[in-house]
Amino acid sequence: MTDIAPPASANTATLDRYKRSRFKNISNFEVIVAGILVTIIAVLAIFGSFLQTHDPMQGDLMARFTPVGEKGYTLGSDNLGRDLWSRMLVGLRWSMSCALTANLINLAIGSTLGLLAAERPGWPRTISRQITDTLQCFPFLVVAIVVVVIIGHGFWPLVLTLGFLAWPIYQRVVFAEASSIFQRDYVKAARIAGVGRFRIMIQHVLPGIRASLMVIFAFHFAGLLIAESALSFLGIGAPLGVPTWGNILAEGRQYMLRAPWMMLVPAGAIVISVVTMNLAGDGIAAMSRKRGRSIDV
Amino acid sequence: MSTVVDTTGGGGAGANRSFLASAMPVLLQLRRLAFLLFFVTTLLFFLLRAAGDPALVLAGTDATPEQLALIRAQYGLDKPLLVQYLNYMWNVLQLDFGKSLASGENALLKVLDMLKRTLHLAFMAMTLSSAIAIPIGAWLGFRPETLGRRIVGGIVFVFQGIPGYVTALVLIQFLAVNLRLLPSLGYGPLEWKTWIIPTISLAFFMMPQLIRVTAANVAEAMREDYIRTARAYGASPMQLLWRHALPNALLGTAALLGTQFAMMMGGSAIIETIFSWPGIGWLLLESTQTLDFPVVQAEAFVIAVLVFLINALVDLSFRYLDPRLRNKEA
Repeated sequence: MTDIAPPASANTATLDRYKRSRFKNISNFEVIVAGILVTIIAVLAIFGSFLQTHDPMQGDLMARFTPVGEKGYTLGSDNLGRDLWSRMLVGLRWSMSCALTANLINLAIGSTLGLLAAERPGWPRTISRQITDTLQCFPFLVVAIVVVVIIGHGFWPLVLTLGFLAWPIYQRVVFAEASSIFQRDYVKAARIAGVGRFRIMIQHVLPGIRASLMVIFAFHFAGLLIAESALSFLGIGAPLGVPTWGNILAEGRQYMLRAPWMMLVPAGAIVISVVTMNLAGDGIAAMSRKRGRSIDV
Repeated sequence: MSTVVDTTGGGGAGANRSFLASAMPVLLQLRRLAFLLFFVTTLLFFLLRAAGDPALVLAGTDATPEQLALIRAQYGLDKPLLVQYLNYMWNVLQLDFGKSLASGENALLKVLDMLKRTLHLAFMAMTLSSAIAIPIGAWLGFRPETLGRRIVGGIVFVFQGIPGYVTALVLIQFLAVNLRLLPSLGYGPLEWKTWIIPTISLAFFMMPQLIRVTAANVAEAMREDYIRTARAYGASPMQLLWRHALPNALLGTAALLGTQFAMMMGGSAIIETIFSWPGIGWLLLESTQTLDFPVVQAEAFVIAVLVFLINALVDLSFRYLDPRLRNKEA
């Protein structure tokens, strides 16, 4: 699995294009495994409603505590006879969209503040660094717990809390890497040629930190998944009726003795998706190190 | 500080300047702390006021309007919000957070009382995690390419994806429910059996990261010139690792321990809730849910100061661990 072979009947032009394409360089084992897993997760999240075998909310009281794989219940059933597989699919979509949206908000805030701070000394740098410093000094989950409890249950409260609190890592890395890129000759040349400030940031500096951003995006995704499920598990994230992984885990905890799968299934799902994201981050970092870029996250 | 003055020598002006230079980092740190505390208290004040009316919490839901008015007047809640805010900040400056709305105790004392149990848990977890992670990390980083180490590295990587509360639940399942060896929840100051599962769960969550960072740092140190020199002088592999590579690698580990301590203050909220461990994490959830404003405020304040102190301590330990930093002029 070291190199994907070029298409057999390729003429020179397509071969050239193939050589230049970024797929040729995906030779890292971790990235391939993570890519497959991410694809599976994405398919399950997007087409999950077609893959449900039962109604995730409606239980069959005659089939309470069905073990894994019996009577058509792929992952067993819970204390109300609801199908765990169908509920897990709903939870998957919830967790993934929550972590993804929050991560995108983090990315936007963090890289904007990072770029503004890196460009030149001045008040944007002072403000950006001061805010980041303050937020970073404070354990993120503590703030998240207080804010989520106060503004209430639900998808958007949770996403916005995570989105507006967890971005310092992006700011830090973007600031560190963009600072050195702003000193490069080509950026100076662009500036002399009269290219605008924001165009320099987006077209000349941002591509240089793309690899690092991808790595943080993956690792941070894992962190947000943990944070989201932890808050739901505590009963302050997702609304109580919604079958998210954290909620299913919290319900399963009460029936630990009777039906251990009620707890092990959501726990396993959380672990698998977190490991997948870590794998992706690790693989991308290894790949860019091979190309001579070192990434410190 | 006196050593810095001595080494620069010179006249009174020079000594004075170097004293300022050495005091400057401390002053900057204090400014950071002040900014942080201001930000936290202000944000929380307005957030909590937006969440609910403290008079309602105090009086209960079945209070008459007269009772409410009385309570408002008594606690100064009938004044404009800005005046209340300034009053509040003035009190905070004197470390007076008010009384807990739930129990009437002094909020700050209540939090400090809970804090010792959280620190107890944090200390045990950090000791356990470093005691296991540093040797494993050193072993992994010493020769990263062998098959056995790669397998262990892979296992550590998977473990990194296991959240602390999942470990906690699985441990409860096996040790407390199936084998009935240990109690599944509760806390006794002298009952060590209640400490075991919470400590292991928390330590397990921190360990993989600690192992990976230590391993990466040891591997990096092994590539340095001084290792080659030491090897040329005939140092044994064990000496290379323990005397030459590891002390350098521990710098990164120390930095990570500081970060992990901060993370633990958040993570303990989950672990403590699972185990009904009466520490500040448990108190945080409890007091936020009951809108016990003074306690939430005091708690945020204490956590901010604590995390800040730990970070400052890590900076200091850097100077102790790395002589290069100790002798460097600021």
